[in-house]
Amino acid sequence: MAVTTYDNRPRAGRHRRTPRTRALRPPGRPPAAILVAHLLVWGGAAAVLGLWWADTPSVLGAAGWLTGAGRITGLLAGYACAVLVALMARVPAVDHALGTDRLARWHAMGGRFTVGLTLAHVFSIVSGYALTGHTGLVRQGTDVVLHYPDMLKATAGFLLFLVTAGVSARAARKRMSYELWHLLHLATYAAVFLAFGHQLANGADFAGRLPAQIVWYVLYLGVAALVLWYRVLAPVRSALRHRLRVAHVREEAPGVTSVYVTGRRLDELAAQPGQFFRWRFLSRGLWWSAGPYSLSAPADGKGLRITVKEVGGHSAAVARLAPGTRVWAEGPYGGLTPARAKSGRSLLLAGGIGITPLRALFETLPGEVALVYWAHRQHDLALRSELDAIAGRRGGRVHYSVSGPAGHTLPMDAGTLSRLVPDIAERDVYVCGPAGMAETAKRAVREAGVPGARIHHESFAF
Amino acid sequence: MRGTHRVALTGLSTISGIALLLALKPHHADQPPLSSPEPDSGGGHGGSAPSASGGTRTGTFTGDAVQTKYGPVQVRATLDKGRLTAVKVLKTPSDNEKDRSIAADAVPKLTKEALAAGGAQVHAVSGASYTSDGYARSLQSALDKADSGKHGASRPAQQGAGSGQSTTGRGGGRP
Repeated sequence: MAVTTYDNRPRAGRHRRTPRTRALRPPGRPPAAILVAHLLVWGGAAAVLGLWWADTPSVLGAAGWLTGAGRITGLLAGYACAVLVALMARVPAVDHALGTDRLARWHAMGGRFTVGLTLAHVFSIVSGYALTGHTGLVRQGTDVVLHYPDMLKATAGFLLFLVTAGVSARAARKRMSYELWHLLHLATYAAVFLAFGHQLANGADFAGRLPAQIVWYVLYLGVAALVLWYRVLAPVRSALRHRLRVAHVREEAPGVTSVYVTGRRLDELAAQPGQFFRWRFLSRGLWWSAGPYSLSAPADGKGLRITVKEVGGHSAAVARLAPGTRVWAEGPYGGLTPARAKSGRSLLLAGGIGITPLRALFETLPGEVALVYWAHRQHDLALRSELDAIAGRRGGRVHYSVSGPAGHTLPMDAGTLSRLVPDIAERDVYVCGPAGMAETAKRAVREAGVPGARIHHESFAF
Repeated sequence: MRGTHRVALTGLSTISGIALLLALKPHHADQPPLSSPEPDSGGGHGGSAPSASGGTRTGTFTGDAVQTKYGPVQVRATLDKGRLTAVKVLKTPSDNEKDRSIAADAVPKLTKEALAAGGAQVHAVSGASYTSDGYARSLQSALDKADSGKHGASRPAQQGAGSGQSTTGRGGGRP
């Protein structure tokens, strides 16, 4: 049946983002935070347009229109670059207020938009200048690149930006590993850096205008400081302070591995059940990329545990980690925590490896809790013995559903859920699983009468 | 499909937003941006050509210091029986290295053009449109002075573009 043969291909194991997954707005993320973020971002854009408006006395002829459009798109693209990098700076307060998945979604949408702005900027500026100077596009373009200040760097940045846009396109991303894609994506930092000079040197709104230049410097240096602190210095500091190491590795199910990590002062990490870290294992072939994995057990101050499904690249190598391997963990991130629950009764819906954060929540959520766990086959039900033990201890209920041969299949629909959990409409519902499963589950839960504010889901968007 | 629609919608609204901003700006040339070498705005300059060649004045005439966005431009014209024989540039934007290099690049071209044309009908040098515009207007004011028989530059500047209330000789009044 379609309901249980959800997309459980390897990708799912990494909580990878798939397009158009839209998280509902949970109570943990007040709309106020989103409103403030919108006001800041759009207010800044309006201020940038105001700069152009104040500096532009008139628009003359076709050349004036083209050059004007080129200036506006250029200013907006320059501003958008700063915003896009800021969204990915992993500032904890912003991450918790808006949610990692929303930030990544905004970043992805804004990135596509900025690629469009940049292309429009290049085309309209060159054609506007060509029209003014009565030259051909190619000649004018060459002239701009070779003879205008800082334009060689900016051109290199532009090409780098296009390459990154190309590899981030949906089709290309499917053909390369997450780690490679992520590494290439970091090239945009270089692109933004290379493009910065030409904005101030050639931008009619900046050249010779100190106040505007200062504002631009503050914007860019501020964002650079955020990135430097939260993505470089803070992780290093945390690594030195906690000195995490792999204690041991255990196979939970075919292709599913738990990694136990120990270290010092772990209570200071203040990791909540349901949260995740970005893990970097300092072993050969693994140190250069960080994998985002949820804690699969509540952090107890003595150790941390993640459970990873093998999907190639980073996650496959995790199974071969040697005890003693040093670990850098960046986090905790994510807002899928017990703090979201408002009703005192919960239902957890897990798909495949999506069980990991829910396993931690199953143990720690207060009040009544029930769990429905879908997987392909019987032996894919990772952590099953633990779940049974927790259920026995706290009196929770677990329903397993497998679609494999001779399995017991539970359709993922409102009728089935209401039958399993008659008071579902009064509960908080946590959903974690592959994108297709999560969408189906959320729809079923809504149909069963659960208000959107009590459906908690974070599409781990990377 | 929804993704495609959203992309199209975002693109369209961005384009219309930018077009609206541009449309809200004045579209006539009583301000200095993007000196437009097209014939439509060249009427004022064209009309002055005969006066430069038709006159019989000899001597040097200093043009107004025309304020452009990046700084003042001022030229001094030398006429021999009404014929433009030399243009000396007194001021160009020089706030920074970039302005200086743009001016250094543009000025010789502009002078060459002006001498060839025997007047202020110069095309904007690509990348130096403001400087070109200032050059043309300062030169024009020098030629006007030659016509009206006044040496030097004691007249109040007619072409105070910087104030935003300029009254240039160019056609195209407000609608």
